[in-house]
Amino acid sequence: MIEQELSIVRQELYLQREENAKMELELINAKNELLFLREEKGKRAAELGIANIEFVYEDNEKGKRAAELSIANKELIFQNIEKEKRAAELSIANKELVFQNKEKENRAVELGIANKELAFQNEEKEKRAAELIIANKELAFQNEEKGKRAAELIIANKELLAFTYISSHDLQEPLRKIQTFATILLANETLSENGKYNFQRMQAAAGRMQQLIDDLLAFSRIATTELKFEKTDLKMIIEEVKAELKDTIQEKQAIIEASELGTANIIAFQFRQLMYNLISNALKFSNVNIPSRIIIKSSIVLGDKSISEKLSPKKNYCLITVKDNGIGFESHFSERIFEVFQKLHGKEVYGGTGIGLAIVKKIVENHNGIIIATSELNKGATFDVYFPADN
Amino acid sequence: MKVVKLNILLADDDTDDCLFFEEALIGFQISTHLTTVNDGEQLMQLLADEVNAQNNLPVLPDVLFLDINMPRKNGKECLAEIKLNNKLKYLPVIMFSTSYEKEVVDKLYKHGAHYFIRKPPEFLVFKKVIQQTIALIAQELTKNRSVNISQPKRDDFVLTVQNSLTST
Repeated sequence: MIEQELSIVRQELYLQREENAKMELELINAKNELLFLREEKGKRAAELGIANIEFVYEDNEKGKRAAELSIANKELIFQNIEKEKRAAELSIANKELVFQNKEKENRAVELGIANKELAFQNEEKEKRAAELIIANKELAFQNEEKGKRAAELIIANKELLAFTYISSHDLQEPLRKIQTFATILLANETLSENGKYNFQRMQAAAGRMQQLIDDLLAFSRIATTELKFEKTDLKMIIEEVKAELKDTIQEKQAIIEASELGTANIIAFQFRQLMYNLISNALKFSNVNIPSRIIIKSSIVLGDKSISEKLSPKKNYCLITVKDNGIGFESHFSERIFEVFQKLHGKEVYGGTGIGLAIVKKIVENHNGIIIATSELNKGATFDVYFPADN
Repeated sequence: MKVVKLNILLADDDTDDCLFFEEALIGFQISTHLTTVNDGEQLMQLLADEVNAQNNLPVLPDVLFLDINMPRKNGKECLAEIKLNNKLKYLPVIMFSTSYEKEVVDKLYKHGAHYFIRKPPEFLVFKKVIQQTIALIAQELTKNRSVNISQPKRDDFVLTVQNSLTST
């Protein structure tokens, strides 16, 4: 029995030694495995280290990405809000567009109506144009006629002037003969007082006719001659008139004051006639007891409607005043005296043809002006002549 | 003493005016010889004849009284012709007219007329003017000794009884 147990134990020991050998082998393997594993683990650790660095880096990156993403998200949220705003605006814009389209359709309808209207107007315009052509032809014809009438008028005026001149001259000659023979007869002492008186009356009548012819001639020349305005010294005109009236001025012992006179744009020969007539009137109608004093002034004034409707307040006028201290006239005759052949006295009292002031008025009209006479009986008379300064 | 007669030539178509002129010379202290022609052509013809006859005797008038309105050739035309003629331009010409117009008178002065007279209607005034004018011319002729007597100033051109009084 101990042999058996020893065999068993030897077997068991043999088995255990085998086992141990196996286990040593396994242990070596395991150690190798472990070494290998350790190496591997080292590698794995290195890799893990790298991986960790990688991981940390990627973590950082992920952090950055997250931050970026967060920003991007905020941006996206903002964009979304904007997108919603745009959408809202777009919706409004669309509504607006719909409205505009409706308006456009309305306008299109209106345009259609307007075009029809325009087509109609064009038709009318063409009709008017045709009428206008006819009217223009008519006007051209009228202008031709007017030109012809104007030419005829010029010829007629020339003829009238020639006729007036010739007739007045030819009328004067027999008149003068009547006067001359009357003087020859009057020088004859064998005539009775009555006879002399008769011839004197005849002489006076002839003298009046002479004056009338002179005045009519002056009047017609004022009306028919051409109007040429030139800058003239008024003082010179007055001097010329004073020279012509030298004898009468001396006779009446008259004083003529004409210091405040300038120049004016006038028709010289007509204006001389005007001043002659006014001054000779002032001398004629002087007071017997008071020596005649005639004051002549000129100035530039603005038109005043209160003086006359015909004066424009925007225009400058030349004002010439002739004032005398003679017998004057009643103020209600202030317009009548300018009418042809109107006199305020009989021919026996004051001579004259009644044309003088009519001539004055005509000359004033030729200067585009007006004349105003102011007076009271026995208080002298004032004649104001206004005419545009820019004639 | 030799009586020197003043040779007066009158050109006027009006019979009455010629008569008045002749009558005006009656009783005049200056001795005159009056020749009358009745129209402008007659006048120029007479003057031409006298000019041509000059080699014999000087028969040109000393003064010409020239009416403006005459048939065929009027006074203005005659005046122009006379003053353009070298042999006639020294002849003093007195212009006569019934009417007075400043423009006409100015032109006559410009053409060289010596005096202008508007025929006065009173005969005695007419007589006085004629006599005074002739006296004036005679005085100017003797004073100057030469044939050429100068034109007066324009202010003295128109003769009336008054101003011809003051000139003499």
